[in-house]
Order: sequence, then C-alpha cells, then structure tokens
Amino acid sequence: MRKYQGIIFAYREEPELRELTANRTAASLPFCGRYRLIDFPLSSLRNAGVLDVGVIMQRDYQSLLDHIGSGKAWDMSRRSGGLRMLPPFGLPQYHNGNYNGTMEALNAVGSYLRDSSAENVILMLGSVAANIDLAAAIRKYEESDADALAICMDHDPMGVHHRFNVGPDGYVNGLNLYRRGAGDGLPSLEAYIFRKDILLELMDYCRANNHYLFHRDAITLFLSRGGKMTVYVHEGYANSIRTVEEYYQVSRDMLKAENRRQMFPAGRPVRAKTHEDVSTYYGETARSVNSLVGDKCIIEGDVENCIIFSGVHVAPGAKLRDCIIMKGCDVGEGAELSCVIADKACKFSPASVLIGSPKLPTVVPKGTEI
Amino acid sequence: MKKSCIAMLLAGGQGSRLYALTQNVAKPSVPFGGKYRIIDFPLSNCANSGIDTVGVLTQYRPLQLNSYIGNGQPWDLDSSDGGVFILPPYLGAGEKGSWFTGTANAIYQNIGFIENYDPENVLILSGDHIYKMDYAKMLKEHLEKDAACTIAVLQVSLEEATRFGIMNVGENGYVCEFEEKPKHPKSDLASMGIYIFNWKKLKQYLEADAADPNSSNDFGKNIIPAMLNAGEKLWPYRFDGYWRDVGTITSLWDANMDMLSTTLINLYDPSWPIGARSPVCPPHYAGEHAQIIHSIITEGCEIDGHVENSVLSPEVVVEEGAKVLYSVLMPGAVVKKGAVVEYAIVGENTVIEPGAHVGAAPDGTDGWGVATCGPNITIRQGAVVPAAAMIYTGEEV
Repeated sequence: MRKYQGIIFAYREEPELRELTANRTAASLPFCGRYRLIDFPLSSLRNAGVLDVGVIMQRDYQSLLDHIGSGKAWDMSRRSGGLRMLPPFGLPQYHNGNYNGTMEALNAVGSYLRDSSAENVILMLGSVAANIDLAAAIRKYEESDADALAICMDHDPMGVHHRFNVGPDGYVNGLNLYRRGAGDGLPSLEAYIFRKDILLELMDYCRANNHYLFHRDAITLFLSRGGKMTVYVHEGYANSIRTVEEYYQVSRDMLKAENRRQMFPAGRPVRAKTHEDVSTYYGETARSVNSLVGDKCIIEGDVENCIIFSGVHVAPGAKLRDCIIMKGCDVGEGAELSCVIADKACKFSPASVLIGSPKLPTVVPKGTEI
Repeated sequence: MKKSCIAMLLAGGQGSRLYALTQNVAKPSVPFGGKYRIIDFPLSNCANSGIDTVGVLTQYRPLQLNSYIGNGQPWDLDSSDGGVFILPPYLGAGEKGSWFTGTANAIYQNIGFIENYDPENVLILSGDHIYKMDYAKMLKEHLEKDAACTIAVLQVSLEEATRFGIMNVGENGYVCEFEEKPKHPKSDLASMGIYIFNWKKLKQYLEADAADPNSSNDFGKNIIPAMLNAGEKLWPYRFDGYWRDVGTITSLWDANMDMLSTTLINLYDPSWPIGARSPVCPPHYAGEHAQIIHSIITEGCEIDGHVENSVLSPEVVVEEGAKVLYSVLMPGAVVKKGAVVEYAIVGENTVIEPGAHVGAAPDGTDGWGVATCGPNITIRQGAVVPAAAMIYTGEEV
C-alpha cells in the first residue's frame, strides 16, 4: 500500500499571463526551452517515489492532456494507481466558470481522494518553477508528529504570497495572508503534505459553509483548531508564475548557471515528454551567446540572452535580444526582435522589427504572422 | 500470428576496427551523429517501413545494447503483437552450446523465434550502417520478382568495388554471380548487407549450411553462393540514397561530419524520423564566450568555448577558451579551459583537462589520421595526443 498520493492544481488560467494562457492553463505553459511548468511538480513527486497523482483541470486542458499523455515520462502509467487526469465531473455546478478556489477544486475531485487508500496527500501547484526535494519534506513530516507540513521558500518571492510564522517548537503558529516583499515568517511555496482524514474534514467543512479558499479558509481553520503543522524549507530556486512579467523574469533567471544548477540537480532529474530526436544545427553565420537553445533548431542568425524552444529557425542576419521564442517559430532574414515573447509557431517575416521593453515584454500570440 | 515480413538485425559484431570505442560495448551501441547510436538507423527504418517485429541478435558485450533497446518504445516498436526482441545465443536441454559461429548461424540458432511469427519473408540487417531506407519498397520488388532472395545493392566506383561484395547481373536482371572483394570487379553493384529472403527457402539453406562442417556459416560466403549454385532467383534491389558503413574510425568520423550537411542525409525530415532513446536534459546553454559555427549541438550541452565543424552528443561541456574543431564528442565528454580537440573522436564521459591538445589538422603525410580517445578516460593537463593516436580506457595519458 502506498502511503502518499499527490494532487497537482493545474486548472488556473492566471489572467495576468494574458495571451500566454489564452488556450492553455498556467501549468502547461512552455518553460525553459523544452519543459512545461507542470513537469516540475510531476518530477518532484516521481523523484520522491509518489506515483499516484491526480491532476485537477477545468478548462482549456487539451494542451495539458497532450503533454502529459499516459504519464509514462514520470513512470506514472501504472496498472494500479498512477496518473489520473481529473476534469470536472459529477458536480454540475462546477461545469461552468472557474473553480472559486482550491477547496472547491478539491471537493470536485473528492471521490478520487476518498477512493485511494493513501493516508497522506501532497498538494502542489502546477505553475511553480521549483525542483522540490519532496523525499526530504516527507522525511521531515514523518519525523514530526504534525498532521500537516508546509513547504516554504528560503527567499522572498517576487509577487503576492502567504507567510507562515513558526514558533520555537518548529510548528506553525500564525499565517500572514497576501504579503508582498520581505516580512515576518517564511514565504509559502504553496505545497503541502496533509493527513488525508484531516484534509477531508476541512473539505467537508468548507463545502458546508460555502468557503472555498485554501489559505484564508482551510488553513486558518486548521490552525485555529490547534492543528499541528510543521515546515520544510526548500533551499534553492523557487518562484511561482502568475504574470507575464514573472514568466519573463523566471525564464531569464534560467540563463544563470547557479539557478540552473538548483533547478536541474543531478540527483533529481526533471522528466518531460521526449519529443525531438534531432540536434540543433548552427550555420556558418550563427552567433549564440548567453542563451538556452532547444533541439531541432536551425540557428543562422545572432542570438543573445534568449531562450529558444525546439524547432525554431533563426535565419541569417536576424538579431534576437532578450527574447523567449517558443516551439516552431520562424524568424526571417534580417528580422530584429528585442524583449519579445513569441508563443508557438509565430512567423516573423524578413526585416521585421519588434521591440518590447525589459519591464514590459511584448507577447506575440500563438501562430501570429508579422 | 502470421506476418508478411519480420526483421533480424545482426548486432553481435565486435567492431574490432573501432578499437577503443568498442572495447566495452558492441558496435551498434556506439554513439553517432549527436543524439543517436548506430542501431537507431536500422531500427527506425524498420518502424518507418511498417515492420513491427525485429529480432536483435546480440553476442559481443551486449549489456549496454540491451538496456538501450529496452522495450523498443523510442522507435515505436513496443507493439502488442510484435516488438523488438533481444536474442542472445542460448542452450537447449542436453545441448552443447556455442556462440554464433557466423551471420547465417545466428539466424539458424533462432529459427524457433522466426517460426513463432510464421513469416513469409525475413529481412536480414546489420547494425553498423547509417542510412534511411524504405524496406517496404524493397519487399514489394522482392515479391514482384518472385525472388528467393533480394539483395540491396549500391552503385560504387570500380576502384571502390574491390572493397565490397560485388553482384554480377545477368541479362534478365537477376544476380548471376557474387564475388567477395574482387581484384578485377566485373560490376559496380556492391552488396549493402541487407537481404530479404523467402523464409521457406532460407530455412532450407540454413539447415543445409548447418549440416556442412566446412562452412563458415556466413551469408556472403556460404548462403548466397549456395543459392546461386542451386539456380535460385536472386534479385538486386538498387538503392541510390545515402549509405555509409561505419566500421572504421575514419568512416565513423566521416559519416559524423556528413551529418552537418542536410543535403547528404536529412535528419529533420518529419516523414522519416530516426528515433533514439535520449535522456531528458535541459536545452543546451551557449555561454558568454561561446562561438558555435557549422556544428550540431544537443540537449544538456554547456558550451562556453569555440566549437566549429563538430558533432556534439548530449551533456558535452566545452569550457571557456577551449577549442573543438572537426571533432566528434560523445555523450558527457568534457573539454576544459584552453584545451584543444581537433580532428578527433572523444568517447563517452572522457575528460580533456586544461591545456591538453588532442589530434592535429591533416598534414598531408600518410601517418595522419583522426585521433581517438575511448570512453571514461582523463587526458591530463597539458598532455598531447597526436594525430591517429588510439587511447584505450584505462590508459594513462
């Protein structure tokens, strides 16, 4: 019998990601040249040996389904248990609109949780860029006599976040909601381990009382009832991605060797669907500096401070600065792009010019021809 | 389950002319062309040609090959009524066992496997050629010509013909004579070592061959001549695409350099994908000092030096100030600061320490050749590995 099951919240569309989430959820956002954000929580679970995982989806999940497939890339294609994609079901009230909050989403998949014999549930967001050592978090949880564990960061993140105050005994004694910048306590990474019976109780309470927010409602209730929650601090890179600016910044953070070392440590590989079996070719006129470049590209132009996904063609004379160019884009001869996020399969005709600003990168929606 | 055609892939060869590169692995699992191993080409050709059952005959150092092939999933060969099967030599009850004594003997020992599928035809392939070929077209011609055996042939120059098995063709277009490495070739059609046999016929000849104590149990030396002598119909199937034997250091290096040109062999063609079991690594990173020109680079590489006219496998590191020219770097190779690698093949996980110099540009002398470092070697700081050198694993340099 497996003691842990995982839940990944992959339904959020995050309106501030604008065009980038027009046809996908934040969890299936392409990231770092070859990944989707959800590869990180899936890999963290896999690397900790948690293979029973439910992915909560709601709308626009085609891209997510296509990417995850049977879960084979994470060894989650199992005869028993394994990966379960959880679209809204059974509860008509959830079919329209978005889940109002995490507790509502959990209640919508309550039967999935109840059907599993796992005693503990690991809850994770699908849109956080972090390679979390869940095995270490599980050890901390098991060594304590807590009923829950919150995973926190060792640094202050960019955007709005919640913070936990921790007492001298190592247990959480307070929750500060919606903070920005530095402050008291430890910033939450919004990943948790819960004893399942307690989580189910919290879910029932929230449903009965029309509460739906995880932190404001469920965790506050848990703590006010004297629930014991310990903390595991994730040391290393971590940032959640909710806005275009965060996406741009976090992507560019991956150009730093130290951040890559923390995101891709040798012992905890980030697994993803293998799709390209062809290398990238650099032509006679190519120049590529401080850039991450995926496979199957043909680079003949000049690329600097960029993240280039697979299957991109950069023609001779094209000049790319500080750009994120997603899969299958074509940059014509002499085109000049600066601070541009080009979604999949965009075409930039020869000599076209598009300049964004580092604070406000220009997003080019999927399939645009310029 | 009756099949029209199944494939048997001969992957047991030692590849002794690759020296240090095949010291611990079989030739078909030698890395090639960036993301591939040599065996990816015949396996992908099978899958793309609609052949879903492939027996892989292994013998020499098969461990890496076995784990590489696994269930065949990277080539879409993990089908429920076929698939890819590793076939090592084995013993029956009370039998005195033996290794495969020749290519024909390897198939003879696996008659049982083949009969499981009751195929009408059997495709025999070698695991040491780089090419893209639609075996379905060859099978169609084989059936149209009602041949007992169809042999894929390539037109070569008469000078080159002395290095190959040459098919002489009669007026009716069928093969009338086969000469192994003739001094004075009568034809320019070289055998590519790819055969489709009518299985009933082949089985008969294999059994006769096994009963002959003087036979060397080889397709080229024994089976084909025996069929010709008996008046069987042998048809030459003319292939005019890219095909290279990569049995020697020079030919392996040449074929790798060919991968830099899409006009010779286009690996980007989506209609004929070549599959590979590749590790999932982050995209490659080109650093502040990187200069990458006319080269292929793949996932997991970290390049901060100068790379030109070279083929890099996954997870290769080229540090600042290092130079890699006209070279093939296999997975995990590391070229440290200020080291130079030129006209060389560097094996898996081999480290070239700072300031070392491996290989040299051609100087027109007869002694010149590509320098080779086997896998898991450290070439120490400042060391010089001259042109044509062969460094084996375990050697101190």
